[in-house]
Amino acid sequence: MNSTPRALNRILLALFGLVLMATGAAAAAAALIPEAARTWRAVSSSAAAGIRSLGVRGGEDWLWVLLALVFLLLATLMIIWLAVQGRGRTGDFIQDRGQEPGEAAGTVTITAAAAEQALKVALQDRRDLVNAAVTTWRFRGTSALRIRVYPRQGAAPARVAEEVAGLVEALDLVLGHRAPVLISISAGARARFTHADRVS
Amino acid sequence: MSGITGSNAGVTAHALRRELHASRAVPSVITGILVAAACILLFLEAVLKAVGDPPFLIDLDAVAAALGRLPGLVPASVLVPAGLLVFILGLVLALAAVLPGRRARFAVPNARAAVVVDSEILAATLARRARLAAGVGPEQVLVTVGRRRVEVSVRPTSGIPVDAEAVRQAVEEDLRGTVAGPFPTVQVTIAPSGVIGQ
Repeated sequence: MNSTPRALNRILLALFGLVLMATGAAAAAAALIPEAARTWRAVSSSAAAGIRSLGVRGGEDWLWVLLALVFLLLATLMIIWLAVQGRGRTGDFIQDRGQEPGEAAGTVTITAAAAEQALKVALQDRRDLVNAAVTTWRFRGTSALRIRVYPRQGAAPARVAEEVAGLVEALDLVLGHRAPVLISISAGARARFTHADRVS
Repeated sequence: MSGITGSNAGVTAHALRRELHASRAVPSVITGILVAAACILLFLEAVLKAVGDPPFLIDLDAVAAALGRLPGLVPASVLVPAGLLVFILGLVLALAAVLPGRRARFAVPNARAAVVVDSEILAATLARRARLAAGVGPEQVLVTVGRRRVEVSVRPTSGIPVDAEAVRQAVEEDLRGTVAGPFPTVQVTIAPSGVIGQ
């Protein structure tokens, strides 16, 4: 439900993977095959000559400054890539500006905490759940709820899903708004070590 | 339901698809930190070179020169394993990017919300159902849930036979009532030797 850039993750991982694979294969080949070692030396010496000729034209300091800028840019891009992982939590559940004719000007805001607390309290009393967590995320232009429930061992997931969805529908009626909802029935560590409810 | 705003079938389907596949955040974060650290070090060294100060950790000039003479400089017994190690590391990253990355989760059909259930939870409820159908104790049933196959192994109580087909049908009925298709096939194995009943 978060806004992790999944396509970007896959593209960059594939890119770095391919670069590492090519480097490793080239190093191993250069060590094993004399022909490949000759190619390696030829390529590196021609690259060195090219860099040297650039340095002669503009002075060597200029090249180091350029190299420093390239590394700075790369480091910044990497840090941006790290920063956009797992983001998307929001504090607003509904924001209605009331633009329809006949309505008073103004904004109605229902905070995420209102919806989260209402659902959490409703889920707390259930004996077939060990724990429940409700969070609100900005997802595809709207606010969406993620309800994570940790059932006790042996509780039927189909029934848990239906009853939690029933609570969500009650919330829809109270707020007059159907937000996208994700219900995740998870095996937490606590659910794993507690006993099955023998009475139910 | 008049007066209730919002229709989100597409958003729900999208959320479901994201929840059933891995985001690759962990390999991305590890790779990003390592590459960023390397870039910052190289930036520092390049700045030191530019202002003419002595190098901090690595001398870029010397490293570049050594890299060019690498096949002769380092014996093959070192360079080959090192190259293979780098290759395997790259392969791991490339596979993480290319493989579908399905999580051990199943979608549960629901009219209102996107619902997913962890395989562990599904296995626990199927085990409970198999135990009731076989008439054995909780310790005598083991259920493994995979994407293609659900394996149920039952150790019967000594002297009381277990009907494998009945167990299979009960588990399959429970499975079909819980998750959305495509359904894994159910396979029931009855252990040849019984145990003392619990």
